[in-house]
Amino acid sequence: MAPAVGDPALPSAPPPAQRPALRRTGRPTSVPRLSPGVPRASRAIRRRQTVIAYLFLAPTLLFFLVFLVLPLLFAALLALSRWTGFDLSDIRPVGMANFADLFAHGSTFLTPILTNTLLYAFGTVVLALCGALVIAHCVNRLRFRGFWRTLYFLPLVTTVVAVGNVWKYMYEPGGLINGVLNGLGLPSLAFLQDPDTALPSVIVVQAWASTGSAILILTAGLTAIPGVYYEAAELDGAGDRTIFWRITLPLLRPSLLFVCLTQFIAGLQSFALINVMTGDGGPGDATNVAALEMYQQAFRYGDWGIAGAAAFVLFLVIAVITALQLWLFRRKDEEA
Amino acid sequence: MKRRTFVGRAVGGTAGGITSRLASRMASGLASLMTNGAMARAVASGGALSGLAGCTAPGNEALREGGGGREEEGRGGAGPVTLTVLTHYANEPLKSALQGAVDAWNAGAGMGVGVGPGAGGARADADADAETARRRIQVRTTAVAFPDLLTTYMVRQAAGQEPDILHPYCLWTGQLVRAGVLRPAPPEVARQIRRNYSAAAVAGASVDGTLYGYPTEVQTYCLYYNKRLLHAAGIAGPPRTCEELEDAAYRTARRDRHGNTLVQGFGLSRSDDSTVVGQTLALLAARGGRFLTPDGRRTALGSPAGRAVLDLEHRLIERGAADPGVSLFKAFPAGQVAMAINAGWWTASLRNVMGASYREVGVAPVPGRTADDRGTLATGFLMGVNARSKHPQEAWEFLRWLNAAKVPANGSKAGGAVGKPVHGAGRSWQGQSLVTRMSALQVSVGSMTGRADDMRTLLLELAGATSVDPNLRPFLDALHYAAAEPNGPRAQQTKTLLRKNIEEVWTGRTPVDAALRTLSRQVDQELSRPY
Repeated sequence: MAPAVGDPALPSAPPPAQRPALRRTGRPTSVPRLSPGVPRASRAIRRRQTVIAYLFLAPTLLFFLVFLVLPLLFAALLALSRWTGFDLSDIRPVGMANFADLFAHGSTFLTPILTNTLLYAFGTVVLALCGALVIAHCVNRLRFRGFWRTLYFLPLVTTVVAVGNVWKYMYEPGGLINGVLNGLGLPSLAFLQDPDTALPSVIVVQAWASTGSAILILTAGLTAIPGVYYEAAELDGAGDRTIFWRITLPLLRPSLLFVCLTQFIAGLQSFALINVMTGDGGPGDATNVAALEMYQQAFRYGDWGIAGAAAFVLFLVIAVITALQLWLFRRKDEEA
Repeated sequence: MKRRTFVGRAVGGTAGGITSRLASRMASGLASLMTNGAMARAVASGGALSGLAGCTAPGNEALREGGGGREEEGRGGAGPVTLTVLTHYANEPLKSALQGAVDAWNAGAGMGVGVGPGAGGARADADADAETARRRIQVRTTAVAFPDLLTTYMVRQAAGQEPDILHPYCLWTGQLVRAGVLRPAPPEVARQIRRNYSAAAVAGASVDGTLYGYPTEVQTYCLYYNKRLLHAAGIAGPPRTCEELEDAAYRTARRDRHGNTLVQGFGLSRSDDSTVVGQTLALLAARGGRFLTPDGRRTALGSPAGRAVLDLEHRLIERGAADPGVSLFKAFPAGQVAMAINAGWWTASLRNVMGASYREVGVAPVPGRTADDRGTLATGFLMGVNARSKHPQEAWEFLRWLNAAKVPANGSKAGGAVGKPVHGAGRSWQGQSLVTRMSALQVSVGSMTGRADDMRTLLLELAGATSVDPNLRPFLDALHYAAAEPNGPRAQQTKTLLRKNIEEVWTGRTPVDAALRTLSRQVDQELSRPY
């Protein structure tokens, strides 16, 4: 049986007396406990150092408290209350009623809003990841890699409003894309007006806009793969396809995981692009997503309780999907 | 507990402004949620914040019609008072028009006819007293773009930075009243409004029979048509019935070989809620239908009139006479739409955009089932006083001056807005027609108020002198028969649900009957939820 890490039997493990004190979690504490024999003055110095450390940390902790913890608690409070948004003394607790309303018969939150959100995120990730992988693979074999990376990164530094409006004009009945279709003898398509094409049309734009960051990360990942693997594969007579599937892709997994996670979370939280391109999530509810619905509930309808409950449901969805992705990638790692 | 109180005081004493007010509201808000002893005591100690900040939420008992319980605050002090008005008049020409009136008030322009405390022989003295008292009241306006208006009210109210006078869209009246933001109009103001304004204007500014402010601009919906396109299709005049409208739409519509729209016979646009819902509800009203039952508790769109209107819209799209994908606001001025239903404000916009081509634009009543049917939709805004205003009496005084005091109409387009006061009663004085400043202001920017007598004076009697657009006349006539947009506490939600279901029909995704059933279920469920 292989010795466990930290086993005293291992030659590299220090004797118990020299190891830092362990808490119940088994993790070593950063500051070893002082034995009773340590002079009082030394303890005072240590205490003062701790106080100073916390003082240095205070601005950051305060920032997190004000902008993260308090809003989170307030959102939790709102999710369990009814509030119109005008008067803080008018917050009335309603228990789980908001969650029940969200999933009541006839409510549009589960279908189509949450479904649209998942489709939007999934579609964006698939398109952006596949596109980025192909482009990164090509860019990695080109000269002037920096130039190409910068070129593909440009959509990311453009504001969402500009991107959304440009694509909106291109999708219009007399726009560029329909002009090309007409030029090929094909009839015009009502991209953003037809409920069947509206969501895919926006997904394409989101994927296009987020491909740049994915390319950047994937090219960095590709560069980090040691060349010896490729040399060995070539010596063994492996073809390009085999090298890509058996060497490049497995060794790129950490970068892929990162891209996958961040793009999925961004897709689930997306709001601005849809707001610019289809306004209220139309036609009908064809492009309505959870973040847009939350905004409408809170700021247009004055129903902050429903908005808070929707935010928590979305948070839960994001947490579950993220955990699922992590688990899948880790399992693949273990299999590898 | 002592420690908490100390912290609370420290915050209240040092932060001031928004922070302390926000803290006080959070403290009182949380207090209402706490029932257990420890937490309640903690919040009670935090209540010191509320006292230090000097603001508490008004009790509902102070919101009865009659001006509320804070009138004495406004009456008491003799020091200068600055009233704040938060409006959506952020762009020209509305911004300058309102600012002109406010500047006139701040400079001490007269009170006008029939609203000052003076009456009969003592009028001059009383007016002088009123002038003296009023000179201490200054008004400051803040404007935000309309899409940001409700959000701004919300944020400022929650932060304790609320304006004294609000200028909201009537659709939000129920929402604002239920949230305790709007103060009921004093009885004499309410009587005056009911007597002088159209029923739709009064309904838009009321909730459950209680008036909450002066209706300002009122928008009625009519049929805009392009004379040139109708004439080219061999149609002599605007359609008077729905059948004529449908026929004219098919005859004027044109598409290219790729299916791209060249001319829409009837412009159905999904630019926003108001465009989608406005044109549908106007057609519905013209056929005698309505969106909600009179008590506002259930949907009534499932009627034969509702079904007929949605069927008509679906047919127009399916047969290529309408294309919701094309922006109506670009296509109509470009002469690519033969007919469209929209509100009165559009006339001024079209005049500016189209220039000489505006001659081709005509306006007619919305076609109904028969040529004699009359019905349409009215939307609008109101000016009301904040329930938290510390100077409600002064605020109502300013609103009376702006919306009820009569001044000579002729002289200049802004004359009514800043004109000098006159003594007398009725619609004329020394041969001059009298109107309110708000009516003059609205007409000067191509809009209207719900005061039919003022509108007749400004749009018809003085039309020759001031070249007022004759296309406004159908909108003026519509003031008499238009129905107000529903404005209950969940009006915005129901309007959005209506918009979504109309679009489902337009896109052919849902048949009319199924969309009406879904709409009824969704709207009824929404209306039954407690607010």
